[in-house]
Amino acid sequence: MGDKKFDPKIVTFACNWCSYAGADLAGTSRLQYPPNIRIIRVMCSGMVNPALVLYAFKKGADGVVIAGCHPGDCHYNVGNYYAKKRVILLKELLNFVGFEDERLKLLWASASEGKKFAEEMTDFVDKIKELGPQEKLAEKR
Amino acid sequence: MNKNMVEELKKVCGDIIDDVEAIIAYRKKATEPREVLTVIESKEEIDSITLSPLSFNNPAKLLCQELNKRNGKIAVVAKGCDSRAIRQLVIEEKIDRERVYIIGISCPGVVDYRKFVKKVKFKLSEIESVELLDGKVVITAGSEKQEIPFDEVIFENCLYCSQPTPIEYDVLLGEPLEGRSDFSDIEEIEKLPLEDRWKFWSEEFKKCIRCHACRSVCPLCYCTECLVDPTNLAVSPMTPAEEKASYPRMLGKTISVEDNLFYHLVRVLHHAGRCAECGECERACPMGLPLRKLERKLQKVVVEVFGYKPGEEIPFLSKLDILPEGR
Repeated sequence: MGDKKFDPKIVTFACNWCSYAGADLAGTSRLQYPPNIRIIRVMCSGMVNPALVLYAFKKGADGVVIAGCHPGDCHYNVGNYYAKKRVILLKELLNFVGFEDERLKLLWASASEGKKFAEEMTDFVDKIKELGPQEKLAEKR
Repeated sequence: MNKNMVEELKKVCGDIIDDVEAIIAYRKKATEPREVLTVIESKEEIDSITLSPLSFNNPAKLLCQELNKRNGKIAVVAKGCDSRAIRQLVIEEKIDRERVYIIGISCPGVVDYRKFVKKVKFKLSEIESVELLDGKVVITAGSEKQEIPFDEVIFENCLYCSQPTPIEYDVLLGEPLEGRSDFSDIEEIEKLPLEDRWKFWSEEFKKCIRCHACRSVCPLCYCTECLVDPTNLAVSPMTPAEEKASYPRMLGKTISVEDNLFYHLVRVLHHAGRCAECGECERACPMGLPLRKLERKLQKVVVEVFGYKPGEEIPFLSKLDILPEGR
């Protein structure tokens, strides 16, 4: 049991217009990235309520990624600006209560950046593996 | 906040009672020195108005409710923090400023009632008046008097009050006071290592019983439907089990640290850049959680990262030009 490898669960909220297409491109161009990532398609990164992120952590996610369009490219003009501000606030607050804020990541990935998406995800998974399982906010039952 | 000020307040109220439909002011409880908010509609009631360091409640919430009930103008006695709450509600179009007459009170801070009860030597029902004179709280009961230094009983939040003088008023009582705006208490917590902070907060949030009193008293928590209890999805005896199971439930009903933290983080996040800093949440908390520290942390981020100035009309979230670089 002791040498059982830690297999992180990572929830990714990917925006419909850029990042989801980017992830799709990573798949169709057969780029390898770790299978720990669960992608949830949302219409815009701006709709990711901080409560959803906390909910993911509560349900045992070891990391959460919010992926959206590059600033200025948002399909809804300003959604990703909101996302960024929310993420900054949430990160500061999580850090303040003693939760590792590295577990939350905001990623800009356009539809053509399949390679970047795969690389960033690989890096993130490595980082989470270093941090170990997330137990602080996960419900214990 | 001494007797002269109360007389002055009564005079002002007497002058405007004919022009307004009601006045929201403080009145002493019969058996306690504590003061409660009251709605005054006639001249005879004006004599019952009091004002002391124990007038701590925020009238903004009551003002909202009264404005919805009535058609006319309402006068309200407001301290610095109350006026900030009213201002924020005006910005968010919950209050029509035209219908409100603000009697501003320059407030040197209010008393923490829990500390006060411990210090006071009289029976609570015997206390006749409480005054603030030269940095001392003077308690009168019959012929006896007790003096407590104000620093010993001051409400902690008032130590960091940025605007003790109302930012908006129609008439101001008392001399304008200087506020202070530093975040020394927050910086102290920030200096702690991560694990110590987690220990501190999880110990605190273990205490929370999730009575949602902090939400009920907050003048800015006015959502009809709160994330933590979806009211439109009420469960009745007729609701089938599988339907109940499929209801979205963000927040568990346990009082474990995770659920409590979830609730408080979401609650605080909704107040980013809006909090009036009145400290009602902390005052209402039966378990004495340091809720203001979370709000102040967020205020600090909003001020330092987004360059938000308290009282600004445009919410910082909707300003596009303040996206910080390199974060």
